[in-house]
Amino acid sequence: MQRLFNIFVLFKEYVIFVVLLIVSLILLGTNDNTQIRAIRSYTIGFVGIFQQGLSSIPNFVELKRENEILRQLNVNLSDEVNRLREARLENIRLRNFVGLKEQRPFTLVTGDVVGKSLHLLRNTITLNVGESDGVKTDMPIISENGLVGRILITSSHYSIGQLMLNKDFRASAKIQRSRIDGIIAWDGGENLHLNNVAKSQDIRPGDVVMTSEYSNIFPRNVKIGFVSKVTEKPGNLFKEIEVTPGVDFSTLEQVFVITAVNDTEREAIEKKTYHAK
Amino acid sequence: MTRRLKYFLLSILFVVIQTQLMRILTLQGITPDLLTIWIVYLALKEGQLAATVWGFCIGLMFDLVTGNFIGLSAFTKTICGFVAGYFFNENKTPLTLGSYRFIIIVLVTSLIHNTIYFVIFTQGSDIGLMNAIFQVGLATTFYTATLTLLPMFVFSRKIFL
Repeated sequence: MQRLFNIFVLFKEYVIFVVLLIVSLILLGTNDNTQIRAIRSYTIGFVGIFQQGLSSIPNFVELKRENEILRQLNVNLSDEVNRLREARLENIRLRNFVGLKEQRPFTLVTGDVVGKSLHLLRNTITLNVGESDGVKTDMPIISENGLVGRILITSSHYSIGQLMLNKDFRASAKIQRSRIDGIIAWDGGENLHLNNVAKSQDIRPGDVVMTSEYSNIFPRNVKIGFVSKVTEKPGNLFKEIEVTPGVDFSTLEQVFVITAVNDTEREAIEKKTYHAK
Repeated sequence: MTRRLKYFLLSILFVVIQTQLMRILTLQGITPDLLTIWIVYLALKEGQLAATVWGFCIGLMFDLVTGNFIGLSAFTKTICGFVAGYFFNENKTPLTLGSYRFIIIVLVTSLIHNTIYFVIFTQGSDIGLMNAIFQVGLATTFYTATLTLLPMFVFSRKIFL
């Protein structure tokens, strides 16, 4: 026993190093564990209070610029609202005519971005809305410019959002013009990629990319961005499509969390079908 | 005991600065890693064993605060502390901290840290490993090393030693 203890003392740096590495690996493997999620939830709630305070420090230069942009946006939106009112009335008439069911409107919760983590590709944001506001894991986050990401974890008053520019982000998407489907993912660069689109499909730079109806998380027809580059490489079955996000993540300050989009009946039947042997 | 408490409080402060304020220094999406500099400092002041343990604790704190991949930073920062600990020399601590050696140690440690980080981080994703290491990892390493100039100048004037 004494000998064992002596060996430990002699190699204590290495023993402790290995033990800590093993603990880290165990933690990595239990990321979805309920206890780990609870600890993360408490930490986010605690840190959120600091973030809230720090985010209130104003940047006057930015505020002036933002004010100008908002004024311009206001004029454009007023014009667009008038046109949309007309379009909606026309839409109602046509839907009634063909008997289509109107898509349910979104229930939105407004949240301020009180923190951003852009270190070593961990692209997440902290929002000052949480479970007490009805926010839950996997709910979509949008802004006026389109899809932002999804809720990763929540505490009672704060939540962490995973941005589209995150290695684990995936979303079913389609091209607005040609209705072609694909999967949106990020490869670490400035833009997103629309994967799984065959070379024969019709996609052009400038096409608008929207969320598709195949997703259980994201509602359909939310703008993701636009196609900025289409390349075809010999020997590859698929096109390489670069998508520029509609949202400027560096200036993101206020977002909306969609709190009621999941169709439980659809989820249940899909689960039943895909898990059936 | 007092020293450990001081290190603990400073560690919390640096984690908060890293997660909340370092974005001010972000250039082209690259943020310097203040925590690596802090762990290297602890390694040079306290030795390999202490730096390994502090590396684990600081990494875990960072994981909890950023909200995803619990254990990843704990893993890489433990290695960071262990590697930096090899440069510990009780008699030369002030000399190392106040000279270009501090920058070189941060450079080496940060490079190892970022490489291991991205080897794990890019698993099962569309992000290319080489792309991540050379574009983000190397840039972060050099940016972090550049930032080390600041504490190096402070230590060369022997203000906090």
